[in-house]
Amino acid sequence: MVHVKLFGLLRLDTGLKEMDADVSSVKELYPILLSEAKRVKPTTQVTAADIDGCIIMINGKQGKKNSRLVDGDQVQLMSPVCGG
Amino acid sequence: MATKYGGYMDRVVLVDLTEHTVENYPWTDEDREKYIGGKIMAAKVLNDHLSGQEKAFSEENWVVVSTGPMTGTGAPSSGRFDLSCISPQTGILTSSNCGGSFGYHLKKAGIDALILKGKCPGHTWIEIDNGEFFFHDADEDGLWGLKSTEGQEKLESLLVKKWGTHRAFGQLIIGPGGENLVVYSAVLSGERAAGRTGVGAVFGWKNLKAISVTGNHTIPVFDPEKNEKWNQKWFSYLRKHPLTGNQLPRLGTAGLVSSMQMRGMLSTKNYSAGQYDRFESVNGETLAEEHNIVNKGCLTCPIKCARTVDVNGRTVKGPELETLVLLGGGICNDNLENILRWNNELDELGLDTISCANTIAWAMEANEKGIWNSGLSFGKTEGLSKLFEDIAYRRGIGNELAEGSRRLSQKYGGTEFAIQSKGLELAAYEPRRAVGQGLGYAVSNRGGCHLNAGYLVILEGLGLYTDPLTYKAKGDFTMMFQDLMEMISATGQCLFTSYAFFPGFLITRPNGIITRIANWAIPHIGWAVRFMNRFPLTLALHLPVFPQTKGIQYAVGMKMTFGRYLRYGERGYTMDRWVSTRFGIRAKDDALPKRLTEEPQDPNDPRTKVPLEKMKKTYYRARGWDRDGVPTERTLKRLGIL
Repeated sequence: MVHVKLFGLLRLDTGLKEMDADVSSVKELYPILLSEAKRVKPTTQVTAADIDGCIIMINGKQGKKNSRLVDGDQVQLMSPVCGG
Repeated sequence: MATKYGGYMDRVVLVDLTEHTVENYPWTDEDREKYIGGKIMAAKVLNDHLSGQEKAFSEENWVVVSTGPMTGTGAPSSGRFDLSCISPQTGILTSSNCGGSFGYHLKKAGIDALILKGKCPGHTWIEIDNGEFFFHDADEDGLWGLKSTEGQEKLESLLVKKWGTHRAFGQLIIGPGGENLVVYSAVLSGERAAGRTGVGAVFGWKNLKAISVTGNHTIPVFDPEKNEKWNQKWFSYLRKHPLTGNQLPRLGTAGLVSSMQMRGMLSTKNYSAGQYDRFESVNGETLAEEHNIVNKGCLTCPIKCARTVDVNGRTVKGPELETLVLLGGGICNDNLENILRWNNELDELGLDTISCANTIAWAMEANEKGIWNSGLSFGKTEGLSKLFEDIAYRRGIGNELAEGSRRLSQKYGGTEFAIQSKGLELAAYEPRRAVGQGLGYAVSNRGGCHLNAGYLVILEGLGLYTDPLTYKAKGDFTMMFQDLMEMISATGQCLFTSYAFFPGFLITRPNGIITRIANWAIPHIGWAVRFMNRFPLTLALHLPVFPQTKGIQYAVGMKMTFGRYLRYGERGYTMDRWVSTRFGIRAKDDALPKRLTEEPQDPNDPRTKVPLEKMKKTYYRARGWDRDGVPTERTLKRLGIL
């Protein structure tokens, strides 16, 4: 089981702060996350492309959508940001 | 003779506060063509006036309140203005930029800029009505001593009483912090603040509590038809861009907290770390979900980055990113409601939240290290509201904290963890994970400011993600970004209009092939950026992602290209530096505390510190400054400063 946390507009648009998922790669997370988002926020417009555009961190290090995940991994997904 | 350009009111006023008189200051089209307006115009005025002997608290310290030619022309986010003078915090030239509507109203009164000289004999407020000046007694009118909101309400009631009706007006006011000469006091304008570098204290020393301004002049535009069409396109471009149309409106600047945490650049516990384990309690998402009431923006701003929150039953301005970070992880506080309240209290007292928070963080560390018994500790937040009052009214240890972290560390020790440069406390970005930002903080003309620094974090993890630890090309990019931002401010526009400079796909597709190539390429193209910096006039073009240049052509009527725009910025930035060298500023002052240059943030990774000296050499060379950081005669002549 991996623990996923969402940040930025992805969190606001899905209504999801965090979730657990039994997956072995980041890519496998996408459909689970989308279906959970639909459940929590039926009006959500988030698509797989939006998740694909996120910054991915795995256990505090930059990851990719093909990165492998193992039990206990902490994944952070953040929509891109800029400027303050 | 009237100006041939649009966007100017053709009047700069020299106000003698000592004598309560005004006269016009000579400012011609030739000056406008060279120094545009805003902070660059102010730098020219002060360059001509200052010898290098003047102190911040002296009659010779002129304060220039200046608008830009774009202010009030209908261009996006063009409500900004500058306050320039010698700063009591740094002792050198500063310029503090502010949003809101004061600049617009100043121009409606028929004035481009005010130059305030001398010192009012008694507590005073100034009323400007269509170009006429009235000096009022701030004690008799019950203004002196009031906090910022109460003061502005009082000001309004005095004006309404005089006018017999309500009229639109703009105002500047200081709070108790400025009255009591706290070196990091702000000047407030509505809910906006010229927060940094202590201009509020200069107002206070001059016995100047407030300025109100109103008028019904028409702000001329060079080509009204083209200007309007261009502005419509420009507004639309900003509204569609993922940053200025989505990210900033919905999360505000606070939206950066989480990404700074992920990039290890979230200043924590007085910059001893770059990540705060409880950041989720005090990030932009929590602010948006649980506290934001409605977004607010300045005049003609489509971005509306400001938050509003409830504090004690009142709807007030919410915290910006800097405040959220420095009063959050910076002092190990995970209570967001505390920050909302403190942010409001500091605004009411007229104190800069950044410098105040960092000075307190220094005092907490100094206390824990046994250097200075301030009684303050990280994570211990009870009593901070009272401490802010003590600072503003200079009571007890507040009287010492009112001097800022540089003077405290010089007195008690602990300079290595006094997180300031040239006396100005750093903003919230921990530079050991963004070394280009570290260079910017050090060489910034006004001290440890993130914006005057060039804001390289936008390349180093908060937009693009080029190697944040390499020194390569950072000096060249720093110069280019500083010059661009210098000019944007001088024209009267908000820096956020420049975020659309980065095409949307680079931002929304950080994992895409083009973005990855850009991230890889940036450290390798320093030579190209150096060429553009050195020969900007070869860039005789308009960039579709930078509508500012055509905007100036239509609103002002000056021939403007991207290259010319850069050259204006370079002239302004170099002139700021040139003035400050008269006050003794040299390479030794372009410094950071040892914590940031000698202690790696990650003890296992020696690269996680700022390789400052190496980057400074490239930067000085790019700027045409000598090894001691002084602009050479050749550079000054090339820019027309000498």
